[in-house]
Amino acid sequence: MDLKELILTATIPQLGRGLKNKIFSSVELTSAYLERAKILNEQTNAFITIDEEYALKSAEKADELIKNGKAKPLTGIPLSVKDNICTKDIKTTCASKMLEDFTPFYDATAVSRLKKQGAVIIGKTNMDEFAMGGSSGTSCFGAVKNPYDLTRVPGGSSGGSATSVSASMCTASLGSDTGGSVRQPASFCGITGLKPTYGAVSRYGLIAFASSFDQIGTIGKTAEDCGILLNAIAGKDDLDSTCSTLPFKNCLKEINKGVKGLKVALPKEFFGDNISGGVKSALFKATETFKNMGAEILEVSLPELKYAVAAYYLISSAEAASNLSRYDGIKYGHRSEKGKTYEEIIKNSRREGFGNEVKRRIMLGNYALSSGYYEAYYNKAVKIRKKLKAQLDEIFKTCDLILTPTAPTTAYKIGSMEKNPAHMYLADICTVLANIAGLPAISTPCGYDKKGLPIGMSLMGKAFSEATLIRAATAFEIQFERREAAL
Amino acid sequence: MNYQTVIGLEIHAELLTNSKVFCSCSAEFGGEENTRVCPRCSGMPGTLPLFNRGAAELAVKAGLALNCKINNFSAFDRKNYFYPDLPKAYQITQFFNPICEGGYVDIGSKKIRINRIHIEEDAGKLIHDEKRKISLADYNRCGVPLIEIVTEPDIRSAEEAKDFTAAVCLALKYAGVCDAKMEQGSLRCDVNISIMPEGSTVFGTRTEIKNLNSLRSIGRAIEYEYSRQKSLLERGERVIQQTLHWNDATGVTTALRSKEEAHDYRYFPEPDIPPMLITDKEIEKIAKTMPEMPTERKKRYLEMGLNDADASLLIADKPLADFYEETVKHYNNPKSVASMIIVELLRRMNDSSVSAEELKIPPCHLAQLCKMADEGTVSRGAAKDILKEMFDLGGTPMEIAEKGGMLMSNDTSAVESAADEILAANPKAVEEFKAGSAKVFGFLMGQMCRALGKSANPTIIKKVLEEKLNS
Repeated sequence: MDLKELILTATIPQLGRGLKNKIFSSVELTSAYLERAKILNEQTNAFITIDEEYALKSAEKADELIKNGKAKPLTGIPLSVKDNICTKDIKTTCASKMLEDFTPFYDATAVSRLKKQGAVIIGKTNMDEFAMGGSSGTSCFGAVKNPYDLTRVPGGSSGGSATSVSASMCTASLGSDTGGSVRQPASFCGITGLKPTYGAVSRYGLIAFASSFDQIGTIGKTAEDCGILLNAIAGKDDLDSTCSTLPFKNCLKEINKGVKGLKVALPKEFFGDNISGGVKSALFKATETFKNMGAEILEVSLPELKYAVAAYYLISSAEAASNLSRYDGIKYGHRSEKGKTYEEIIKNSRREGFGNEVKRRIMLGNYALSSGYYEAYYNKAVKIRKKLKAQLDEIFKTCDLILTPTAPTTAYKIGSMEKNPAHMYLADICTVLANIAGLPAISTPCGYDKKGLPIGMSLMGKAFSEATLIRAATAFEIQFERREAAL
Repeated sequence: MNYQTVIGLEIHAELLTNSKVFCSCSAEFGGEENTRVCPRCSGMPGTLPLFNRGAAELAVKAGLALNCKINNFSAFDRKNYFYPDLPKAYQITQFFNPICEGGYVDIGSKKIRINRIHIEEDAGKLIHDEKRKISLADYNRCGVPLIEIVTEPDIRSAEEAKDFTAAVCLALKYAGVCDAKMEQGSLRCDVNISIMPEGSTVFGTRTEIKNLNSLRSIGRAIEYEYSRQKSLLERGERVIQQTLHWNDATGVTTALRSKEEAHDYRYFPEPDIPPMLITDKEIEKIAKTMPEMPTERKKRYLEMGLNDADASLLIADKPLADFYEETVKHYNNPKSVASMIIVELLRRMNDSSVSAEELKIPPCHLAQLCKMADEGTVSRGAAKDILKEMFDLGGTPMEIAEKGGMLMSNDTSAVESAADEILAANPKAVEEFKAGSAKVFGFLMGQMCRALGKSANPTIIKKVLEEKLNS
């Protein structure tokens, strides 16, 4: 069997069968991915670290498990992990000069659960610095490139993870989603990204950006692959008190049920002038497909949506300003050579260690929290958050899913948005709602624009309705002809 | 012009939990530097706080001990500031929704109202190495649970401030919330102080004196700050709102920072910890485990017949008061036991710096000794000597008395023959007695006691001597 050929389109269940039936070993599979990843990383910059030695050692262990009949769904499957998720003894940088040389001595809970299944982590993926951004262009290790067009962004912040899967450098990936950072790059890279319900996956070991929004998400070529990863990492964790204590139910159990009878809502605010024509027509086509498959389409309204981006940026930046204060150059991380006093050292270390986008959010967040402005900014944003949650609850009383575009446009040119951060912030309009309300959402490809760039659509559901999301996305994926990136 | 001092206190008390408030590291005092530290309490990237519910229980106990309302809903917030002893650059505290509100402490002369009690984490410790010109951080104390008790500005003098702090210390010790060892820093006090012309109702500009660690320094710092503010006003100058440091060695306050430089702590709800819900049922359950508080205990001692001074003295040392009660259980004579403890035992304890917990004497032995002294089995004088030996070496009072020949003899024949001898040897004294001098009787008693030794029963000696003299 030609593994080089197979991995270009492979999904986790296919590879799992191959491993189980001893058609190839995990070491062979991992080597094939590693070879491709090393070559393509030169072009895409998807990985910050590729740990070949560690990957092959894990593959050997996986082969041992398979030999002993102890294989689990992810045993021996090569995966990548975003570089803001802690991996014991492997550098975890957040794509920041501040943590350029930081090696955790603990695994994130999600990572230790992957390891427990015998998954093979081949490396750590590039991203926007501290997950702040939508282009994966703010990394101190350089911009990530879109596999469909290397002059374009892969989206962000989990752009490295999305690229690594889209370019078949690994099978699937863990990303993180604070305002759309798993779904939007999945959309730009023509693959599937799942942001679980807040509290479904432990945040322990996920380096915090905005704690009340952050959630580890999964990226794969199919909704099923995303679900397999989610099943492995989700569930109660004593290390994170914001993690749900309810047992996480198998999110794949309804995968073949189709969409017949599901009520899908289209909020009209998501189809305004800010959404490009190509995206809109792909979405309308997708709506038709759902209708044809037996779903009921309803038009709804979310009048407060216009405040969502502002509320999201105020609260998330406030939390980020606080979360990132610990990087003072004293205990770990970048330490400036300049300055003698504590104050000089932290000022210089932070000035040198953080990039512009991170600094911008820290300033915005501190401003929103500062005395005299708290009520007008932070607190008002909290009120909007509550209101949006209430409106979504209302919609979900009569609907099962909300269908929206994942991003207003397809992938744009690298560097084209840098001069206008506010414009880039507004592009989050399609994704922030799920984070604001802590709801699960999945993005899956639904079309290609004239240039052949992928268009993604998002399905958002009630809390802990991941099974419904995967069921609906899978039904759509069966109808849809996905095009692999040409790399 | 005379000025009135207005004082409000913020007391930080370390809770007696075994582990820290947001991780499982030991919360014990001391330890080699940075050995009681984990990724959580040192704020490593990606780690999250996990709330130790034991701290909530102790905070509820503190609230109950200080007559507060316990909130069913409370939550944590972040207080943001940079300081090298604070590894996350924010302190987790309760700003918007504290666990306890309202409350008061009765200091006898008046009630001092309590505004709130909230839970927070302690910071680490900085060690400044003057020789090498470097500062080192020890994170052992990072994350040790604290409660902060905030009063209303009800205190009007250094004495009241000291009385209040002492009462809080005692209540917290009784409730098992805090060991209140000010010298180890397990209870520290910030003083907010202003002055206003006597009769005025408008408070002056206040200053805050940070981290006072003894009752004495609280008193001294207040007195100093009162005079400093007063002389400023008398010179026509203004008091500046600022944070001060008290130097115990020089006896003066110095400015740490002024209002202009004051931190903007940018408080906001801590997103890593869900709000804390405590049901009335849980509060009731905790209330049932509350021991008797010092004020109640004192009231009971007064009812048992003790005077105010003795009762106050006993309750001020909870282990000693517990020892007292155990003793009374074995010998139900509260006044006699109190007197033995306060007059004899406490003196020895103070002389040799032995605490009630370190006593070698079990309560049942002390009870036995009191009983023996009261019943005349040994003389009062002998009882003192027996107590000394029990205190130093241990042993039962009966053994010690027997061994030392201190048991009082009831054999009157020895006393009678001794009386005959002494009266014969002192004819002049006998004459004086018969002439009506009562003073000489004491002299004769002394002679008798010396001749008969410790085992002699003074009651019998007196009786025999009187009979002989009057015959």
